[in-house]
Amino acid sequence: MTTSHRVAPPAPRVAPQGATPDVKAPQDRSRRSAQRRRQRAYSLMLLPALLLLIGIMIPFAQGVWTSLTDKKTYIANPSFVGLANYADLLMDPRFLSSLGRTLLYVASILAVQLPLATFVAVLLARSSIGSYLGRRVLVLPLLVPPIVAGLMWKTMMQPSSGVLNHLLGLIGLGPLPWLTDTGTALWSVVLIDTWAFLPFSALILLAGLQSLPPEIEEASRVDGAGAWKAFKYVSLPWLAPYLVLVAIFRVADSLKQFDLIWPVTRGGPLDSTRLLHVMGYEEAFRFSSPASAMAIIFILWLLVYGISFLLLKLWRRTINAVG
Amino acid sequence: MSRTIPKIGFLAAYVAVITFIMFPLVWIVMMSFKGYDDVIAFPPTFLFAPTLENYSSVLLGDTGSMSSGAGEFVRYLGNSMLISGGAVALSLLVGVPAAYALIRNRTKNEDSISFTFLSFRFAPELMVIIPLYGIYQRVRLYDSYLGLILAHQLITVPLVIWIVRTFLADVPVEIEEAAQLDGCGPLRTLMRVVVPVIRPGVASAAILAFIFSWNNLLMGLVLSGQGTQPVTVGILQAIGFDQVRWGWMAAAAVISALPGMVAALYMQRHLVQGLTMGVGK
Repeated sequence: MTTSHRVAPPAPRVAPQGATPDVKAPQDRSRRSAQRRRQRAYSLMLLPALLLLIGIMIPFAQGVWTSLTDKKTYIANPSFVGLANYADLLMDPRFLSSLGRTLLYVASILAVQLPLATFVAVLLARSSIGSYLGRRVLVLPLLVPPIVAGLMWKTMMQPSSGVLNHLLGLIGLGPLPWLTDTGTALWSVVLIDTWAFLPFSALILLAGLQSLPPEIEEASRVDGAGAWKAFKYVSLPWLAPYLVLVAIFRVADSLKQFDLIWPVTRGGPLDSTRLLHVMGYEEAFRFSSPASAMAIIFILWLLVYGISFLLLKLWRRTINAVG
Repeated sequence: MSRTIPKIGFLAAYVAVITFIMFPLVWIVMMSFKGYDDVIAFPPTFLFAPTLENYSSVLLGDTGSMSSGAGEFVRYLGNSMLISGGAVALSLLVGVPAAYALIRNRTKNEDSISFTFLSFRFAPELMVIIPLYGIYQRVRLYDSYLGLILAHQLITVPLVIWIVRTFLADVPVEIEEAAQLDGCGPLRTLMRVVVPVIRPGVASAAILAFIFSWNNLLMGLVLSGQGTQPVTVGILQAIGFDQVRWGWMAAAAVISALPGMVAALYMQRHLVQGLTMGVGK
């Protein structure tokens, strides 16, 4: 497919093979120099982006380097310590529990949001009015700044004055401590995350469902498949690559979740919502230790890339399976 | 008869989903129009006498005791406008030609550049922002608009490159060849022939990039100081030492969510594509 994007297909040669070289040569030369000019123009067009790329790579590399030193904000000359920061982290119960919590968070997000998003997508795809209205509503949380989403829910989750406990009370359920208790805080953030990002997943899956050729579904109906069977054997396999795509985005975004946590709990109460990205931020700016902050964030980076890479492979396989 | 029960079930589920999404938005908008007594009332009030005092306190500054300076928040709005507007403008300037060069002059090398840009969408931002904080302090870009605009390229350029890329793939090569026969080089072909065709794509890339930049918290939290604080950081001021100013926060939240809401009305069609960076179109 690559070649189809090329602008200039090789022009048919004017002279047949083996014709006198003095006829062919000047044309070839001018064609080649035109080609070279175009090549140079393309490089120039790419240059600013490449400079930017370098501008991003430099701090990145410096960050990795910092993680190999004992840099503290209040020490003038940090020295190289090798992997000592990483070794320290692997012995640090606070880091290990934050790592575990982060993975638990990601797993919960997937477990809650993938099935729910599939359900919502199927629900919306059922009628054209439903999908028209639904799409318009679902888009809204995606455009609200995550910090606003967080604060909005924090307001509603106030234990003594929040509207959620009031509504729970109306149907006879006890008040929940929501964000204020170590046992419920992380799950409350999962709920906020679901409000903020379920629409993202659902909209992509809806687009997937709507790209399913209607003949295929009709054929399965004619064959006598019920709604559930048609979903299981037709829609779901068709959706597989879309589901993996959604998973890639959700895994990366929830591994590095910060915006929904910082304004809402700052990682607390105690450590109950302190995910790795939050811990890295605090390490750098509250505890003045860029070295261990960068070590934490580089580990997070490796996690994001490792898992995304595996999911990307899975994605390619599901695409090939669908054809 | 047997069909009505599942239908009612579906309708109920549909209403539940819409309510789940809409309720918090409606609630925060309601709260932004509540006076102090209604904000702290429990049980919460659903009917109340609306007031504009929160908005006036956000936009014009406080007259009460907890003064935060006249119209501080307006300054944050201006900062966000400048930073996100500047970031998007620079991204279009850099990203559109790059996307074109990357897709028309495509080799293995070019593809790995494209994917490196894509990968920034997934990276934890602090990996770049924390070192940038140190660098910026040395080169005096800390707390400057230019510094923030440059940093925001981490978010906006990948978006622009990848969204424009999906639109470029649909441009018929014939129209470009015609321009080339007229003697146009790649840059002129892009500006005169291609950009007019993919204008909707460029527009939606610009809008999405603006929203993502506007909504970003970490860049402002780390790289801006008193002079350049964006709205996302400004809202955090509602959470004071001893108490949260809920009404103020609600009004500030509503105002800062407006650009996204306006954009939503406007770009339905390309939004889903844009959110996945055009991957899996």
